[in-house]
Amino acid sequence: MDATSPAPSSTPPSRSRFWNKAIKLQQLYLLVLPSTCIILLLGYYPKIDVVVKSMFRWKPGEVEEFIGLKNFVDIFNDPTFWASFQLVFILLAANLVKMWPGIFAAVALNRLTSDRLRYIFQVLFVVPMVIPGMVWLLIWKSFYEPSGGLINRILRGSGLMGFLDFLDSAMPQVALFADKSLSPEKLEGLSLHPNFIEPVFGGSWGLIVIGLFFTLLANHGDERPKRIHAAGLIAAASFVPLLSSRIPGGSGSLLVGFVVFVTLMALLARCLGPMWVLWMFGFAASLYAFKGQFALLILWTLIVLGLSELIRTMKERFSAEAQIKTIGTVFSILGIVLLLVTQTWTETTGQFEQGTPAWLGNKDLVIPALLFWGFPWVGTVGVLIYLAGLQQIPQDVYEAAELDGIGPIGMLFRIELPLILTQVRINLIFMTIGTLTAYEMFLILLGPNGGPGGKALVPGLYIFKKAFLEGRFGYACALGMVLFFIVLGLTIIYNKYVKVDK
Amino acid sequence: MPKQFNKATEALKIGYVLFVLGFAFLPLFVMIVVSFKSNQQYQQNPFFFDPISDWHWENWSIAYDMVSSMIWNSVFVSVLSTLTTISMVLLSAYALARYRFPGRNVIYYLIIASMFLPGTAATLVTVFNLLKNMGLINSLWALILMGTNAGQIAGIFLIKQFIEDIPGSLFEAAQMDGAGHIQQIINIVIPMSIPVISICMITDFLGTWNNVMLPLIVLRDQELLTIPVGLMRLEGEYVKQYGQMMAGYAISSIPLIILFIFSMKTFVKGLAHGAVKG
Repeated sequence: MDATSPAPSSTPPSRSRFWNKAIKLQQLYLLVLPSTCIILLLGYYPKIDVVVKSMFRWKPGEVEEFIGLKNFVDIFNDPTFWASFQLVFILLAANLVKMWPGIFAAVALNRLTSDRLRYIFQVLFVVPMVIPGMVWLLIWKSFYEPSGGLINRILRGSGLMGFLDFLDSAMPQVALFADKSLSPEKLEGLSLHPNFIEPVFGGSWGLIVIGLFFTLLANHGDERPKRIHAAGLIAAASFVPLLSSRIPGGSGSLLVGFVVFVTLMALLARCLGPMWVLWMFGFAASLYAFKGQFALLILWTLIVLGLSELIRTMKERFSAEAQIKTIGTVFSILGIVLLLVTQTWTETTGQFEQGTPAWLGNKDLVIPALLFWGFPWVGTVGVLIYLAGLQQIPQDVYEAAELDGIGPIGMLFRIELPLILTQVRINLIFMTIGTLTAYEMFLILLGPNGGPGGKALVPGLYIFKKAFLEGRFGYACALGMVLFFIVLGLTIIYNKYVKVDK
Repeated sequence: MPKQFNKATEALKIGYVLFVLGFAFLPLFVMIVVSFKSNQQYQQNPFFFDPISDWHWENWSIAYDMVSSMIWNSVFVSVLSTLTTISMVLLSAYALARYRFPGRNVIYYLIIASMFLPGTAATLVTVFNLLKNMGLINSLWALILMGTNAGQIAGIFLIKQFIEDIPGSLFEAAQMDGAGHIQQIINIVIPMSIPVISICMITDFLGTWNNVMLPLIVLRDQELLTIPVGLMRLEGEYVKQYGQMMAGYAISSIPLIILFIFSMKTFVKGLAHGAVKG
């Protein structure tokens, strides 16, 4: 990076020196010119054009009429668009889980004792890249075929199909159990009294909130406010899909309200300190969860506060923080599991009886099929990148850890993971951007309408559909801008909270 | 490398890696196995090879007739776009890494920032419009141009860092001998950074080769289709002849197999070096 352009050794007259410099600069500009032009023309211009065209009623070659912000107003009243985020957040959560097998594979490779074996594996991991992406996609699609597909053959062969058939009749019963909105006709024929969770805990969401309460309580007076703050924001973000699904009609406007709410809390956190905001958030969330049952809310708040006081007075004698945290986690997990159970498998699909479930053709099966897609979720290049990071960890770090009596699992979380956090973080950001904007796979697999019942309609696919199928190009641009800002917001949050501590 | 665990954990690690690798190779395996089967054989036994006398070799010749033109289109697009990308990237990475000049930072951040400005499906709309205005609809040059754009960003980012690590004295010595910029790039930069250059070239090649959306909306003529779109059409149109389809998939992987046979070693090495910094 050293500046070699001005040559200080010779001192020619100033004019020729100026020209010399100009010629040198000109050469440099010529070197960067091609890249810059290409990027400005093909990279930036289309993206800026999206911003401009979002204010037009636009169909190339036919209409181009300035309509101001009307497209954006339409978006806020477009329930399909906001509903599509529900799926994308599910996929995002799933992808967060799916990152782990790759990390484990890299760690396992790195810990191999034999260098030669590791090299062989390293090369083998590259080989699957020779399959073109489209071929990979189409082959996996063939795995899902109802009668001849590999997955159904394996399920039938191993007897799992029968188990799935059993679950198919059992799970909806379980779902009824904790369902908040039970219709009378559904109640008939149930032997156990339903809704036992709701009167006590305020439903599954109530459980999650109580769990959060407990976790907060354990962190009371903790020295790590940043982490709590982050947890609060993540929890807040988890309400977005819920809100967008629960409120019909103008869900868009509600989402905006919610975003404003979160921003406000982030600002407050800056000024007042995170604890304030977190308790406020907890209160707001619990108001939602226990809606209409304030007595229960007050009761639980009192219980939690009482326990909090109890712990504080006994703190000298024993530290129960870990246990309280466990209680909180158990509550939250229970709530999340219940939520999943009660909201996912609510109807009998009837697909498993004949043993030929149409994974990609049934509205109830398409999302599980997409979640399982690509098992065991190891991107081979990702593994090699992690591995490259892991191999930079010096030997003595491991030795020191070993002396401290840290076992193999402890090493994973205390040494290996923190030291490859840079790679993980970059992967995380690109994964998030990729998940939120993805549509190619859905288009190829399920067509532009988002598969059976529009269940797999992701935002990107919706944009594609609006533009190329319905010809509303300007509206698609506006949708694209909204999606872009959501992605940008998430990227910024990641950059802020997933920091590399060295 | 780190520590000697006992044999059981070693076996566990190898087992896990093999499990993962097994699934990574599964599509490849299925593709080869099924490509020699008739539909009937596929229904009976999709998991493994039949006796060799029952193999349907004609699947491959039929499939070759179906996909050969697509392969040449894809090769044309990918090779040209990779070559233009890498030459542009080398020029600008060299200038950005070696010299300070007014506007250098602006250009650099312009390039890096677009890495974090994701294109949504809406960008496809405006790109389509732009290409239409440039008269590139239904032309392979549209794909080459867009491929060149896609490869710039990561390429400049990686190669610039690599050039910065080359000792400055090498360049100074070359300058003493009167070497110009281009000569310095050819004689110093390229030989010194072959691993990272090969990484960039391979990712560019793969990116263009695997691109679906752009050819899908840009190309109209059947004879211009590239591999991904062509395969997608085949899969949709046909009364499915699995054997022929899979043979077609296998044939369309051959160019990539050739590419990897020649670059495997540099690629693995380069991934170990270059990627850490990214």
